[in-house]
Amino acid sequence: MNKWHKIKKTDLQKYVSRLAEKWEVWIPRLVDGKWEFGIYDGARDLDLPESIIDVSLKNLFFPKRRAIATFDENSKWSLQPVSPERRPRIILGLHPCDAAGIEYMDKVFLQSEYKDVMYKNERERTILVGMLCNKMGDDCHCTDRGLTPDSTSSMDVAFVNEGEWYFFRSLTDKGKRIMESKYLKETDEGPTKNEWPAGKYSIASPEEFMEMYDDSIWHELSDICLTCGICTYACPTCVCFLVADEKFKGKGERVTVWDSCQLQSYSRMAGGQNTRKTPASRVRNRTLDKFAYSHLRYGRISCTGCGRCIMVCPLKRSFPQLGARLSERIREKEKERTKVPAESKEE
Amino acid sequence: MTTIELVPKPATIKRMIDESRDVKSYVLEMNESLTMPALPGQFVEVSVQGYGEATFAVTRKSKGDREFTISVKRIGHLTKMLHRAATGDIVGVRGPYGNSFPVDDWKGKDILVIGGGIGLAPLRPVIDHILLNRKDYGSMEIIFGARTPDDILYKEDLKMWESDKSILLHKTIDVPFEGWNGRVGVVPAVIRDLGVKPDRRVSIVCGPPIMIKFTAAALRELRWPDDRIFTTLEMKMQCGIGQCGRCNIGEKFICKDGPVFSLDQIPEHAL
Ligand SMILES: Cc1cc2nc3c(=O)[nH]c(=O)nc-3n(C[C@H](O)[C@H](O)[C@H](O)COP(=O)(O)OP(=O)(O)OC[C@H]3O[C@@H](n4cnc5c(N)ncnc54)[C@H](O)[C@@H]3O)c2cc1C
Ligand code: SF4
Ligand code: FES
Repeated sequence: MNKWHKIKKTDLQKYVSRLAEKWEVWIPRLVDGKWEFGIYDGARDLDLPESIIDVSLKNLFFPKRRAIATFDENSKWSLQPVSPERRPRIILGLHPCDAAGIEYMDKVFLQSEYKDVMYKNERERTILVGMLCNKMGDDCHCTDRGLTPDSTSSMDVAFVNEGEWYFFRSLTDKGKRIMESKYLKETDEGPTKNEWPAGKYSIASPEEFMEMYDDSIWHELSDICLTCGICTYACPTCVCFLVADEKFKGKGERVTVWDSCQLQSYSRMAGGQNTRKTPASRVRNRTLDKFAYSHLRYGRISCTGCGRCIMVCPLKRSFPQLGARLSERIREKEKERTKVPAESKEE
Repeated sequence: MTTIELVPKPATIKRMIDESRDVKSYVLEMNESLTMPALPGQFVEVSVQGYGEATFAVTRKSKGDREFTISVKRIGHLTKMLHRAATGDIVGVRGPYGNSFPVDDWKGKDILVIGGGIGLAPLRPVIDHILLNRKDYGSMEIIFGARTPDDILYKEDLKMWESDKSILLHKTIDVPFEGWNGRVGVVPAVIRDLGVKPDRRVSIVCGPPIMIKFTAAALRELRWPDDRIFTTLEMKMQCGIGQCGRCNIGEKFICKDGPVFSLDQIPEHAL
């Protein structure tokens, strides 16, 4: 295990400014009252949120609109692949659930016979410097999803905010590259360990969810969902996309664009046939995809417990609540099944 | 860095065949000495520059892996543009994708091919494969249904199959039609009529979803076990490589784990 290094909080900005001379550095910043990642330019005081950052990192690896090729509209065929951005970058201040989101995207885009090389390039040019959370936000429930606010999985460097200090530790060779600094001092001390409470949305197992496909509960659940799709855009692991051609003034681009399984158009086929026409069928597909199908495909459910879908939901009741309600129903059914019939008790 | 899989490669339209009133076939040759080594049942994504792409079964191969044929039913945005294309035009292609019919496992078996309309397209390579390796297989029976005589595809092939002594061919149209003296009735009815037995056979079924559903029911009535009824499923697709998310039935992606399944591999609601 690499050693801890500590840095005075008052020195962090100087350290980051140094890094920014060589790297493109992304940090969380407050824009119109919401936290999102942006390129560090030294113009403002560095301020790192202790818990959830409103906008997920998905867009930095898999942009909501991504040109994969360009063409000249006046030719029959001139499609040329887009050349990738190569500048090395650092993303600093992401949290454990953000790293878990990236870990899931890796499974979709890299654990495949057809690796998405544009995504791979974004991964390779990036050093992930994660800050462990000091508290759980109102909608946070990572502890219900197999994570904790101090998980370091998939980070290249992890750091902890404690008192006057930040404690840094590199976790990969890539991470080591940013540890050489006069501001970072090796230390035998380390940050204190925290105990974390369970969240509010514990769920049943993927296998139990799989049993619920034909249950009537989907109508009840879809009654409390607008199927507006906003949750899928906010979600760090929802990476469904469509492929389309866009043309403007003679220039054309083939793009991938984020899509949402909550919209009717998602499954609509030529001729109007649609396998997921009803809200219930779409709510079922997303719920089971998050909590069961993902596990069967990749060995891990895709919900990280970040709570962003709740934060953006117009009704503030999103898939974590639906998953929890469904789990409650699973327990009810289980109880009904195992209940000893009244007569047999008397015998 | 190699190119992202989603960017297609160019191919030239060598020949076009008017199959029926709304289906055209295209013989495509890969440009730049590229190949398309498709197995029976696999599909490709075909692009018309400026209009996106769509999924089509490879319905025949020629010149080794250099040339292949797709059959396109005009039904929406991209298929309309393809129908307007001309010989010599360049289109984009990527693939082949998906699994294939396990034709090697079927050696020594009798084969029953059941196609409805454009559904015959993904099945034709199986027929081609069997005819090319005739000694390896037992008997072959083909049931092909179309809505009207005007919807019958692959007329040349049908003629050939009809005159081939090793094939038993049944053609049917859904409802009576002036000038049609052949069999009338939907495919599931024909199956019941013929009383096709499972014996040493495997069956492969493709057609509109409703046809697959009722054909499966008819075969089950005749005591066909699910693991000997193969079909190719259709769901809305975009990427064809298991990433865009949308073609799933449960945890399975039709584009990656399919499109070929035997009925015992899919849940009942997939039919
Ligand atoms: C495995 C598989 C094999 C197929 N083989 C053939 C074939 O051999 N011949 C044939 O004529 N048709 C085939 N289809 C159906 C064909 O893909 C659609 O008819 C076609 O995508 C319609 O495109 P469009 O742009 O004209 O329609 P639009 O309604 O304008 O559709 C827009 C886009 O949605 C997607 N889409 C729409 N309908 C479907 C659909 N049914 N399946 C998949 N994606 C769809 C496509 O990306 C399409 O470009 C196959 C479908 C699948 C899934
Ligand atoms: S489903 Fe909701 S809580 Fe789970 S990862 Fe997606 S946005 Fe976060
Ligand atoms: S078509 Fe994209 S996942 Fe199957």
